[in-house]
Amino acid sequence: MLWRLFFIGILLFFLGLLAWQLYRTNVFEQRADGLAPPINFTTFDNEVIAWDDLRGQGIVVNFWASWCDPCREEAALLEATWRREQDNGIVFLGMDYLDQEPAARAFMAEYDVTYPNGPDLRSEAARRYGIKGVPETYFIDPQGQIVGSVIGPIVDPAQMEELLTKIRP
Amino acid sequence: MIFNLGYLLLITALLLAVFGAGVGFWGGYTRNSRLAQSSYHAVYAVAVLVCAATGILWYGLLTDQFQLTYVWNTSERTLPTIYKFTALWAGQAGSLLFWCAILAVYSVAVAIANRVRHRVLMPFVNGVTLSTSAFFLVLLVFAANPFHMVDFIPADGSGLNPLLQNFWMISHPVMLYLGYVGLAIPFAFAVGALMSRAVDNTWVRTVRRWTLIPWLFLSAGIIMGSQWAYMELGWGGYWAWDPVENASFLPWLTATAFLHSIIIQEQRGILKIWNVLLIWLTYFLVILGTFTVRSGILESVHSFARSDVGPYFLVFMGIILFGFLWLLFDRLPLLRDETTIDAYASREAAFLANNWLFVGIAFATLWGTFFPMFSEIFTGDRISVAAPFFNKVNGPLFLALILLMGIGPLLGWRRTSLDLLRKQFTWPAVGALVIGTGAAFYQPQLFSVIGMAVCGFVLATILQEYVRGVIARQTLNEENILQSMGNLWRRNGRRYGGYIVHLGIVMIGVAVIGNEFYQQTTHVTLAQGESAQLGRYEVSYAGMETERGSNYTQFGTRLLVFDRQNGALLGSILPHRNIFDKNPDQPMSEVGLRSTLLEDFYVVLNGWQDNGQTATFSVYVNPLTAWMWIGGIVLVLGTLIAAWPHPAPRPVAYRAPHEQAAQAGA
Repeated sequence: MLWRLFFIGILLFFLGLLAWQLYRTNVFEQRADGLAPPINFTTFDNEVIAWDDLRGQGIVVNFWASWCDPCREEAALLEATWRREQDNGIVFLGMDYLDQEPAARAFMAEYDVTYPNGPDLRSEAARRYGIKGVPETYFIDPQGQIVGSVIGPIVDPAQMEELLTKIRP
Repeated sequence: MIFNLGYLLLITALLLAVFGAGVGFWGGYTRNSRLAQSSYHAVYAVAVLVCAATGILWYGLLTDQFQLTYVWNTSERTLPTIYKFTALWAGQAGSLLFWCAILAVYSVAVAIANRVRHRVLMPFVNGVTLSTSAFFLVLLVFAANPFHMVDFIPADGSGLNPLLQNFWMISHPVMLYLGYVGLAIPFAFAVGALMSRAVDNTWVRTVRRWTLIPWLFLSAGIIMGSQWAYMELGWGGYWAWDPVENASFLPWLTATAFLHSIIIQEQRGILKIWNVLLIWLTYFLVILGTFTVRSGILESVHSFARSDVGPYFLVFMGIILFGFLWLLFDRLPLLRDETTIDAYASREAAFLANNWLFVGIAFATLWGTFFPMFSEIFTGDRISVAAPFFNKVNGPLFLALILLMGIGPLLGWRRTSLDLLRKQFTWPAVGALVIGTGAAFYQPQLFSVIGMAVCGFVLATILQEYVRGVIARQTLNEENILQSMGNLWRRNGRRYGGYIVHLGIVMIGVAVIGNEFYQQTTHVTLAQGESAQLGRYEVSYAGMETERGSNYTQFGTRLLVFDRQNGALLGSILPHRNIFDKNPDQPMSEVGLRSTLLEDFYVVLNGWQDNGQTATFSVYVNPLTAWMWIGGIVLVLGTLIAAWPHPAPRPVAYRAPHEQAAQAGA
């Protein structure tokens, strides 16, 4: 009887470790929190964006795609806010997620998007931030901490304003 | 529309599988033939539904239906048609569907082949295969729907992973799946035998063949995987002890152990508990391997997507582990051994040692594979044990195993007399001496010489067995040598096919020794017209050749290979890199190879400058590598001979090997 329990105990222990590791793996897969993962990329206009150069400014990272219909709902508000706030120490970054470049350019032309925008190659940034889908927007304060995030489109200017006040330098 | 139908088919199949499993178990338990009949119908219906769903996904892939997320993520318009076809198993949802389809086909084959012979057992077997199908259908319906759609039609897909756009990737995954999935069948039989309490020897014979078939596919799949690694990954090797490789190797080890120990159960009625444990362990390792690959808990060079299926697998593993153990503990009294092992110098003792070695290697491999996980949990640091650990631990164990492969057939059942030992071992010892001395003259290195000697020993054993078998036949019948060989295979294919499998393993062993101990390598940068030397070769860089494929550009470097001694041109090779349009950041390397039976001249293109004015290469001389692939083919042929239906041999109570040889010819 004893050896049976021993046998079962070892197997349970092993399964328990697997479960624990799976849980941890999934925890790490969850959405980013705290210190924001750095994003370095090249925009569609061949401008190189280096994360370290943005230190001291409030950063809004928006994940989007041309095929994503809800992204259209927020495009105008994002662009308008960027034009108003770009001289107040706020940076907008657009990360184009799983997309075709011509379609993405057409989208940007349609909404006259002018803030730095580039393809998220190999979905690296999306993975680091653990996004649930597009659109998804992160608000990062001048110290590099994520202080807010929104899943889905931001259509309410008041909500945008409230989040921006948290990241103003 | 049709894709909604595909999803509907999967849901229907799931419901039917659950129903069929229920009536299978209940019908088997109550010996109710109408319920049992129902379980057969469920097996057939599930197979039809799952195969139809697979067909629909194939249709989606072949006709570029990018509104399917799966097609969008694994295909593109310019992808060659053959890869659109193979994209079925390039992503998670498709692989799971493919797995499910193979299982369904296996289940039907088993049901049709055994419905008369194993009337009592089969309802339970249907129950187990349908439960397994149900598990995979749950994954497909709830966690990884291959028919998930977006509500617009993308212009083009994002392309297939370049790693998978390769000849070997067409067949390698299919073989592995056929092997992996097929190992569910012996498990189903073991559960069926325990549940029905019909644990006599009749199911053992059937299950041996149903293990041999998946084992054949698994072996072929592993060999093809090494070939792919050798030709594509371009690091000069064929096996890296990566978690994903180990995931396929672990069940192979325990299944091989089982194929040997089942013979002792058939012949001597012992090791009954051990055998069902091995079947169970094999199946558990299959599911564990799939779980590791799919859940992302271990890091691997193979880039597989992480996903949500992990928790499902964990629950399924729990059911397999504890459900089976509960059943086994309950039925233990039925599994009493009929006798004991009489002497160490007996074939059954050799088989037992072989089993311990296989399980030992499996345990070491499991430990090494999961060590990073253990270390991360207990110390916070992820420490990987790399290839040296596996080679150091498993190398000697494999050597002992190969030695046993030679010794086993020389021993008789129960016990072997000293006289007979002398008679049996003389020629094999001579073989070991000759090959070992040859190796020592070539290059005196202790381990490689021992390894080669052991291979020589086994080779001589196999030859001796064949010579005796043929002579025995020829003294009794008027046959030529070819007829005798054919008759040996036909009349006792299990034994003489088994020797061919062993021959294949020896060839693979020789290739491994050649590569591990005698590989030469150098790294060079050459300008056009310059040359470099390695071993007996001189290689000169002629220039760059660019070629356009349908969805990639090939950048090749033309190299001329000369014999260093006499300056003769041996041939020209073209190591190249393919840059895929959709994945330019992931260039694929294809090696340039000049292969002979003695050694491979193997060149990897590492990079180039100034449009190919200069280029950097890794150059290898890999001795004896060709024997790995030849050995693989021999192994497959041997398994076919062994698995081919042939008249049942009578159980042997006590007979010395030379008498058996005579009997083989009778």
